[in-house]
Amino acid sequence: MPGGGRCPDCGSAELVDDSHYSQSQLVCSDCGCVVTEGVLTTTFSDEGNLREVTYSRSTGENEQVSRSQQRGLRRVRDLCRVLQLPSTFEDTAVAYYQQAYRHSGIRAARLQKKEVLVGCCVLITCRQHNWPLTMGTICALLYADLEVFSGTYMQIVKLLGLDVPSLCLADLVKTYCSSFKLFQASPSVPAKYVEDKEKMLSRTLQLVELADETWLVTGRHPLPVITAATFLAWQSLQPSERLTCSLARFCKLANVDLPCPASSRLQELLAVLLRMAEQLAWLQVLRLDKRSVVKHIGDLLQHRHTLVRKAFRDGTAELEAGEKQQQGWGKSPGQGKEEAATSSLDRPEGKRPASPALLLPPCMLKPPKRICPPPPISTVTGDEDISDSEIEQYLRTPQEVRDFQKAQAARQAAIGVSNPP
Amino acid sequence: MDAASDVALDILITNVACVFRTRCHLKLRKIALEGANVIYKRDVGKVLMKLRKPRITATIWSSGKIICTEKQVKKKLNLVPDLARSLQELGFRVIFTDFKVVNILAVCNMPFEIRLPEFTKNNRPHASYEPELHPAVCYPTKSLRAALQVFQQGVSQ
Repeated sequence: MPGGGRCPDCGSAELVDDSHYSQSQLVCSDCGCVVTEGVLTTTFSDEGNLREVTYSRSTGENEQVSRSQQRGLRRVRDLCRVLQLPSTFEDTAVAYYQQAYRHSGIRAARLQKKEVLVGCCVLITCRQHNWPLTMGTICALLYADLEVFSGTYMQIVKLLGLDVPSLCLADLVKTYCSSFKLFQASPSVPAKYVEDKEKMLSRTLQLVELADETWLVTGRHPLPVITAATFLAWQSLQPSERLTCSLARFCKLANVDLPCPASSRLQELLAVLLRMAEQLAWLQVLRLDKRSVVKHIGDLLQHRHTLVRKAFRDGTAELEAGEKQQQGWGKSPGQGKEEAATSSLDRPEGKRPASPALLLPPCMLKPPKRICPPPPISTVTGDEDISDSEIEQYLRTPQEVRDFQKAQAARQAAIGVSNPP
Repeated sequence: MDAASDVALDILITNVACVFRTRCHLKLRKIALEGANVIYKRDVGKVLMKLRKPRITATIWSSGKIICTEKQVKKKLNLVPDLARSLQELGFRVIFTDFKVVNILAVCNMPFEIRLPEFTKNNRPHASYEPELHPAVCYPTKSLRAALQVFQQGVSQ
């Protein structure tokens, strides 16, 4: 309330500042008389701090979330809901997305990369909570290219300094096998192909562990191995009715994609099982092959640790033993042979046992690629003597002599015409 | 491995990547038309020139920057100026400057196999193993300023 002012009408000292829309007025509170009023328009200098500020200069940009970031956060939440992840996963993935978005490289990236970033954040969250989720699943859901996804994923892990644990194989087996549509009879799945989920899961897990022990899983995509193991487990539970079913048909029945390397993984797994079967006395006489060994998978898996030890030998230990044996034979050949004979006490005498195969990754067991031999260095100088049998090839026939003389004469004439004296 | 049975490990250099500048503008179309063993990638704006002896793949940009990758390096890397000479023969006033070796790829074979999942667990957080993307473990070392790729066969790059 301003001091010293009085209303000209009633003389009251109760004057208040009031504004009529944008015009400030001094009004008497007793009689309502307008004592003074301000100007409607202001000058540029009068406005001062009341001037309008552009968005880029204001602090709103830092405080508010941009439209593309909002869209990304919405996509993260949608993806978590589609994958039916717990709500804690959603919050963690959103936090990672916000953290990544603060980096200028991500903020200025293309929309395709930002879309893929959504999947990366969800994948990292799942891995940290040991939730089995493959990159292939996320790429399929986001319609993204695996190469773009892998580049963005490695970039984000490095940028945020995260420690992402590896995919847990056992959990992936359980999740992947649960997606197979073979546990209930349906019009597409005959009753003889329906299987109990728990039995199939436990046998598949044992087969995957066996594959891991025998170097079939390391360095390879896990899904083809799991598909091959699931197929073998399913076949072995009722072999009489299921041996005729192929891997491709099995995947079609189960409503699952057949990954390309699955058939070669299957062959490798069958080769390992055949090697193990050779160690069991009651299976040696049956002369098993890759089809008939499926019937005995249950027995083989029960004693797999012992059978793997007997059927395969360690590659490096064998090399060292071989070197020591060679050194021993160099000194005393007789003693070396006796030692080799007494080492195999459980074998019948007179029979030479088949040596166990080396337990090595398949890439090391395959023969090395043949290197193209370099072309032989030619030593022909042109000064060698010509042999009598070849000399005739160097002599001209009379016809060739006549043609050569004609050509020479024509050339001389042409030179004579072009250079007139 | 025992200390008594030490095996000598050879580190073989397989690839060397280097960069140099020619200090002149290069007409890619002319190189593509008149040069030998060239591939012109017009959409990207570069020419690939592949030499047989030595086995060099050169990426040539019109600004004069050239990146060379030499394979099967057995002798000293002294044959890159041959590339600059071949450009000179095409008519460009090439000056061979700012030569720098950017990357060296070497291979070392271990006499044992490596279980990659266990190796990754024991070397976290440096080691990164993604079997869905690459069959090897990526192990960057800050002290050596190198990145190792460890394969299950015992091959390290």
